[in-house]
Amino acid sequence: MQIGQEVKKGDLIGETTAFVSAPVHASVSGKVVALMDAPNAMGKMVPAVVIDNNGKEEWTQLRDNPDYMKLTPEELKGKIKDAGIVGMGGATFPTHVKLSPPKEKPIDVVIINGAECEPYLTADHRMMVESPSDIIEGLKILMKVLGVSKGYVGIENNKPDAIAKMKEASSGEANIEVAELEVKYPQGAEKMLIKAITDRNVPAGGLPMDVGVVVQNVGTALAVFEACRYGKPLIERVVTVTGLGVKTPGNLRARVGTPVKELIETCGGFNNSPAKVILGGPMMGFAQYTLDVPVAKGTSGILVMSEEEHSTSGKFGPCIKCGNCIDACPMGLMPSMLSLLSEKGFYEETKEYNLLDCFECGTCTYVCPSKRPIVQFVRLSKSLIKR
Amino acid sequence: MSHQHQEKVSYWAIVKNGIIKENTIFRLVISLCPAIAVTNSVKNGFLLGAAVVFVQAMVNSTVALLRNFIHPRIRIPIFMLIISGWVTVVDMLMAAYARAAYKEIGLYIQIIVAFASILARAEVFASKNKVGASFFDGLGSGLGFLVALVTISFFRELLGKGTLIGFTIVPVKPMLIMILPAGGFLVTGLLMGFFNWIDMRFYGGKGAGGAGGH
Amino acid sequence: MAVAKKEQELIVTVSPHIRNDETVSRIMWTVSLSLLPAFVFGVYFFGPRAVYVTALCIVGAFFSEWLVQKMTGKEITLNDGSAFLTGLLLGMNLPSSAPFYIPLVSSFVAVAITKQLFGGLGYNIFNPALIGRAFALITWPRAMTTWFEPTAAFVGLDAKTTATPLAILKEGGMQKIIEIFGDKMSLYTDLLIGHRAGSLGETSVIALLIGGAFLIYKKYITWHIPISFLATVALMAWIFGGREGFFTGDPVLHLLSGGLILGAFFMATDYVTCPSTRTGQIIFGIGCGLLTILIRLKAGYPEGVMFAILLMNCFSPLIDRNMKSKVFGLAKEAQQ
Repeated sequence: MQIGQEVKKGDLIGETTAFVSAPVHASVSGKVVALMDAPNAMGKMVPAVVIDNNGKEEWTQLRDNPDYMKLTPEELKGKIKDAGIVGMGGATFPTHVKLSPPKEKPIDVVIINGAECEPYLTADHRMMVESPSDIIEGLKILMKVLGVSKGYVGIENNKPDAIAKMKEASSGEANIEVAELEVKYPQGAEKMLIKAITDRNVPAGGLPMDVGVVVQNVGTALAVFEACRYGKPLIERVVTVTGLGVKTPGNLRARVGTPVKELIETCGGFNNSPAKVILGGPMMGFAQYTLDVPVAKGTSGILVMSEEEHSTSGKFGPCIKCGNCIDACPMGLMPSMLSLLSEKGFYEETKEYNLLDCFECGTCTYVCPSKRPIVQFVRLSKSLIKR
Repeated sequence: MSHQHQEKVSYWAIVKNGIIKENTIFRLVISLCPAIAVTNSVKNGFLLGAAVVFVQAMVNSTVALLRNFIHPRIRIPIFMLIISGWVTVVDMLMAAYARAAYKEIGLYIQIIVAFASILARAEVFASKNKVGASFFDGLGSGLGFLVALVTISFFRELLGKGTLIGFTIVPVKPMLIMILPAGGFLVTGLLMGFFNWIDMRFYGGKGAGGAGGH
Repeated sequence: MAVAKKEQELIVTVSPHIRNDETVSRIMWTVSLSLLPAFVFGVYFFGPRAVYVTALCIVGAFFSEWLVQKMTGKEITLNDGSAFLTGLLLGMNLPSSAPFYIPLVSSFVAVAITKQLFGGLGYNIFNPALIGRAFALITWPRAMTTWFEPTAAFVGLDAKTTATPLAILKEGGMQKIIEIFGDKMSLYTDLLIGHRAGSLGETSVIALLIGGAFLIYKKYITWHIPISFLATVALMAWIFGGREGFFTGDPVLHLLSGGLILGAFFMATDYVTCPSTRTGQIIFGIGCGLLTILIRLKAGYPEGVMFAILLMNCFSPLIDRNMKSKVFGLAKEAQQ
């Protein structure tokens, strides 16, 4: 890219040759005005292309393809790759990589994750209600790419309208099933979802493909359909803007690259006294120090928490060994021991308690009656142990 | 403090060191078995303490006297022989002249042979220092032991029997547990904590943790 | 409100950004509340002395907590309810006949020595209330085994004293007990309601079960410890409890008497001193049951719940170490 260059919506603006990566496309039409480093959701400075929007909303040449189901799996995968599609639940792992499992790991099930990965977020829910058939089409493409005959859509049972819509959309498909799931956090975590739907245990330290499963987010399935059907690259996504600190919460279809500030203003601006602005959900999301951060492909929500609803991890008490965290831990770990060992500086010993299997969902910290920063202790240990 | 005194240190400082800074029970935390076994009355505590003062002083002097003739490889057996010699002296003296007391704590007098504190002072101090200094080190260390025993037994007898040296002091129902072994551990532990607290609070020390023969 | 202006005041912390509203003090006060029925029954049977003894324990517990925290320069945490709970439990474990110094001294031992000197809430090895009681029992054996007869009336200090059912059982056997209570049915009824001699809060099985059920309903405790504890006691009492040989014991009598129900639901389940994992808790409960029966049938004391729980407290860290929770995905790997 060069400064001064004119781009149209959907033009390729960033690419690397690394395997685990996805290209980036322009989300507006206009002129490139800067190539610089800008903060991302995690607060890191990353390379960015700044485009001055000319407001013309000109699309680049898109390759419409009504007969997309006649394409070979490899061609479909190529389209997904070229569209820059990544996991839109938050992990942003390139989808085409997930769709290329090694030969020794045969895949027999594809699951569409409609179990909203965190509380507060409703983006997946809206998408399922609004475009159920497109999502089912996306699932069919994914199944074709992987050569799989069984597809599931996992939805938590507190969304009856989404379940009904998805069931209706998939009624003609014998090999697609809508699974109703118990409402609990973290139901949307891959391992928990696979356990709930297929009763398969992903081994500790393993990946879903080890048990023959690929999980994709609802938004990803939708993007896959749009990429294959209309040739549309991933330049926009549905973002939940919510929390007591925002006037009119809602789900917005936002271009990748839109500053968070604008989304909040679109939702009526701040309400009461906003204390925190979080990208992602309340359990694993990142609190922001600036509202200039852009919406990224993995930004599922913007959470504006008021003074009353947020909690800061300040003062905490001693562990009374109540065992709430052990009951709550989806991975079956003993967070109480992890936090005690870490607090006293026994970082190496935390490995005996399977520290590395923790995926930092934060449930233990949520339930702790002593308000101990358990997951923070876990992160501390993880950063200090010798791997 | 270094146990090899190059420059002149006053004998009083050596004695004081044994009583306070390197108190056998509360600071070095050795020879706890006798401290708990005999301290259910002040009399017994004092008698054993006195016997230890004598044995310790004599053993230290003897070891210091012979230190240049003892081959380092066999020093421990030699120390043990010297200790048992002096313990036998005390044992027989008591058997001869203090029959009543001997009946009560005679067993513990013989066990002085196995006290870690006696061997410890011989090894860390007497084997490296002159006779005079060693004598006073033994005296101080023994006195420290005596003071500790009397302190512990003071509380145990007072709380456990309501008496002191046999005289009734507290008329209310005493706490039986204090003269049982459990009470010995309890009082010793609490006193140790108390002295550590004083040390930390008023002298800026770091407590006794792992002080053994520093 | 201007978005840009507010940006300066944003709080930045790491996730998670929400917590539930459960707190340690709420747990402590709820457990205290669940002891209320049994305490009311105790007052009903043993009169105002029951209130007096328990109040002294609570005062002693509060004072000890305050004193040690003041001396060690820690934050004063009287309102977290843990000192109150320890005082209440200790009071309910004492005989109503206890003279004033017993509650005061034993609550000091419980809170100051057993809990605070070991590092405060969460770090004690032993159940504080039980250590307080064990200390009192060893220190004043006579006073701690002088039981007032339950009169269901507000009598003064001149109440008659009597022996507990377990003491009678140890001395005179089953025959003697039935002689005193009339027949077997009225024995069971009296035990169930709590019309018998004993510590002031341990007698009424019904009231204790109500409290225990409340705690299980509120999910503050699980069934694992109480049930494994009680089942072991019942089984062992049935097998070894009889004088005529094996399988002639009376499990019901053993279940309903002594401090078993209070111990199984409120003492053994103390978070800090019991294992954290479910398997560990079942092992803990079985251990408590075995030791209880061993002491009741073979040792010098008629009742063994207290020492059984204290002895098992020592094993809690060891049990936790060896009974780690099952890690997701590890079990299957091991099978392959």
